[in-house]
Amino acid sequence: MAERPDLTDTELDGLFQAARDTAPMPSADLIARVIADAEAELEPGVEPAAPRPGILAAVLATIGGWPAAAGLATAAVAGLMIGIATPDTLQDLSGGYFAAAGYQLEDLLPSYGDLLGEG
Amino acid sequence: MPFDALNDVSDEALLVAYGNGDAEAARALTLRLTPKVLGFAARMLGGDRAEAEDVAQEAMLRLWRQAPSWRQGEAKVTTWLYRVVANLCTDRLRKASGVALDAVPEPEDDRPSAAEGLQQAARAAALDRALADLPERQRQAVVLRHIEGLSNPEIAAVMDIGVEAVESLTARGKRALAKALAGRREELGYDDG
Repeated sequence: MAERPDLTDTELDGLFQAARDTAPMPSADLIARVIADAEAELEPGVEPAAPRPGILAAVLATIGGWPAAAGLATAAVAGLMIGIATPDTLQDLSGGYFAAAGYQLEDLLPSYGDLLGEG
Repeated sequence: MPFDALNDVSDEALLVAYGNGDAEAARALTLRLTPKVLGFAARMLGGDRAEAEDVAQEAMLRLWRQAPSWRQGEAKVTTWLYRVVANLCTDRLRKASGVALDAVPEPEDDRPSAAEGLQQAARAAALDRALADLPERQRQAVVLRHIEGLSNPEIAAVMDIGVEAVESLTARGKRALAKALAGRREELGYDDG
């Protein structure tokens, strides 16, 4: 094969122009992925650093975590129920128990009757 | 902010806005910068579209992560991005070849081209093949200067070298391309005979 002359600068420029003309355009999928990445980076949840604990987490940590919170909630509800049901139910329960032994609640707690009277 | 109102805003201002939580700024930057990033990556990776898209997405992700700590006035956003792309491409070429960068294998001549028959596509494909044979630094300098249209000082900033070194790399790269493509004059439409 005969030796061919090297391309001139003008001819090379024609190739560079062709490369610019045929430059790949990003697909809609690529654009969507890049934008999704940008939006995800704005989300506070994706920070690689450990999340700062909130107020609820701080309170829970103080009382011993979720099990302690559950126990506290149970006690609170039970206390509320007792508060709503008393004094009649308490009177019946304790009265029934102590009546069998020959006592009234007032015998054990003399001021209890006064308390009811004031109410 | 309305989307088309962002056209006159600089890359850096948009990046700072994004760093402050403005998602609209990220959309404008994506449409503006992704074509540049993808084009450069594709030329550096010998026209491998899928690899180039991965590199483009990764480079843009690094830009998003850099945004909150972007130091204004220190570097142009495009310069910073081109450098990231160059590094990502270098890593991929090293992993792909497992040998010296300068030993990138020549792509097969008969690889399919969607725009086969079109002179421009044939010229671009021939240039891609010849670029793939250049030493990586020459290829990078030639692509940035003659295809991406960066100035020599900008290329010097991207490649972290002096302007004279850039001139030397582009000159040697162009000479090597002119010689390598001499035998392809006919397919390039440069056959005077």
